Amino acid sequence: MSDGFAVELQEVVKRFGDVTAVDHISLQIRDGEFFSLLGPSGCGKTTTLRLIAGFEMPTSGQILIGGELQGYRPAFQRPVNTVFQHYALFPHMSVYDNVAFGLEMRGVPDKETKSRVHEALELVQLPGMVHRRPDQLSGGQQQRVALARALVNQPKVLLLDEPLGALDLKLRKAMQIELKALQHRVGITFIYVTHDQEEALTMSDRIAVIRRGRVLQMGAPEGIYEHPANRFVADFIGETKFIPGRVAALGPPVEVALDGGASVLCGWAEEGTTVGAEVTVSIRPERIGLQGVDDGGTGAELARLAGTITQAMYLGTDTRYVIEAAGGATLAVRMQNVGDGVQRHAVGDAVAVMWDPQHARVLID
Amino acid sequence: MQERWRRSPSFRAWLLLSPAAAWLLVFFLAPLVVVLVYSFLERGTYGGVIWNFTFGNFQRVVDSLYLNTLFRSTYIAVATTVLSLLFGFPLAYFIATRSRRHRNLLLLGLMIPFWTNFLIRTYAWLTILRTNTGLVNVSLMSLGLIDEPLPLFGNDFAIILGLVYGWMPVMVLPIYAALERIDRSLLEAAADLYASGFRVFTRVVWPLSIPGVVAGSMLVFIPALGAFITPAILGGGKSLMIGNIISNQFLAAHDWPFGSALSTVMMVLMLLATLIYFRTAIRTGTPR
Repeated sequence: MSDGFAVELQEVVKRFGDVTAVDHISLQIRDGEFFSLLGPSGCGKTTTLRLIAGFEMPTSGQILIGGELQGYRPAFQRPVNTVFQHYALFPHMSVYDNVAFGLEMRGVPDKETKSRVHEALELVQLPGMVHRRPDQLSGGQQQRVALARALVNQPKVLLLDEPLGALDLKLRKAMQIELKALQHRVGITFIYVTHDQEEALTMSDRIAVIRRGRVLQMGAPEGIYEHPANRFVADFIGETKFIPGRVAALGPPVEVALDGGASVLCGWAEEGTTVGAEVTVSIRPERIGLQGVDDGGTGAELARLAGTITQAMYLGTDTRYVIEAAGGATLAVRMQNVGDGVQRHAVGDAVAVMWDPQHARVLID
Repeated sequence: MQERWRRSPSFRAWLLLSPAAAWLLVFFLAPLVVVLVYSFLERGTYGGVIWNFTFGNFQRVVDSLYLNTLFRSTYIAVATTVLSLLFGFPLAYFIATRSRRHRNLLLLGLMIPFWTNFLIRTYAWLTILRTNTGLVNVSLMSLGLIDEPLPLFGNDFAIILGLVYGWMPVMVLPIYAALERIDRSLLEAAADLYASGFRVFTRVVWPLSIPGVVAGSMLVFIPALGAFITPAILGGGKSLMIGNIISNQFLAAHDWPFGSALSTVMMVLMLLATLIYFRTAIRTGTPR
């Protein structure tokens, strides 16, 4: 393997007629990495996966698997295996024959096949079901068979196309943890396609956020969550509040004047921000603090906005407040219910919202 | 007690089923019973039957003349079925893999021949295949490609050609339906698991299309075995099938009981063939 990259995409483009599904995507996915392609439906993430698998051929650009140029090599000659969105188990074969299929196609001797199939089924915690047919299994079990069918071949790279999408929420959560543990154990590179940002954050080593066939941001989950590079990423991943304004001074910290006359300080600005530009200040709800106006707190280093509480929702572990702030911005704030657990603010209270400027980001509209 | 019986689900099911059951009884079963009963009676002089019980009709069926025709008919029907499958499967596959709009157009095209009477279409084949004045032989001879007319007419070749032409669409339709139902991701999954195009076909496409192949084969085999228009016209009066003999018993020879006996034997043979065929097909279609 060259450079330790399991999969490398170089300026890959895929067009279907007039539609550009993948628009100059370049990725370098490391050996043993859990890499997610995250984006809304129709963003090109699944097409990217299909290009790697060999179900589609790129219009231009190169794909390398294990340092080897793939070119127009058909799917059945590529050292990758896929877990399909709806599992695509062969309905006319038993669980055993499904899992053994890849080994059989490669001419692995029967005896070895048998032990490897049983190993694979044990790995996905589904032993003793070898004679069942796919339609006799639950969705979760089918999912496991699909995983075993792919993993039994010991591919260099496992491609997963929204494999948990068809499962109910509880099972999905359990499978997320299990998949991650499984990946750790087998040490195979996973490329995971999902539209579920939470799933991507939970499981991935790195994430590529894709929109309209382009990679908007790539990095570790913390980096993408804490430092979204643009408005789309900030909006798509996690909950974010946006306050419209106009840049008053390029700091650092950047000063943004809000419509109501107030101004706030922000620690970071998207590249290309200029004084006077219409921008959005983005901030995560959990980074926003709340203070009664009578509390008399000072905190000169914090950004402050006066406002009124319009909604208070008790959620158990925390309370969610919606605040109409000066300048017409609506902010949501989560306050953890620690200590005596009494709700500290009520609807109609005049409060001040505040945050550390380093958590506020200026994004270009 | 009686009230409860009347409300039981099975009673209601039977009640709902009764119109259909009555229909079947009258229009499906009754003619069959007539045929079966007639096959044990003696013939009347001017058609009809005389109510004397006899096994004589069945003894005549075993006569080598009729048995030979029965064997030849079976051979022609099997050949028709196999050829229809050979040509029909690729056609069904082609249609099933087109875009939705094209699929519907192609299916419509497949049905268009049925808008014209089968008898007329068979006569059309006559003008194409006829030995001295047929389109094929005339064209080939005027081009100087052949000196003698090819034996295209009045033989088994002509009958099989006519039958394949007539019945291939009913082979294509069920196979198309089976192929169209196959999830395309199954083919991708097989390719992903190192199966070449050929093995994707033999291991996934073919096994999953077997229900369609079985249905199509039955739909072709049964009418081909009983065919009488095609052999009458394209067989040139020389090459006959069992269907012609049966129709002759009713229309020309006025021997209804013997015609009934021949029909009964054929029905039993078909039933056996169908059973064997389904058994084998189902066995190949289920996982080990």
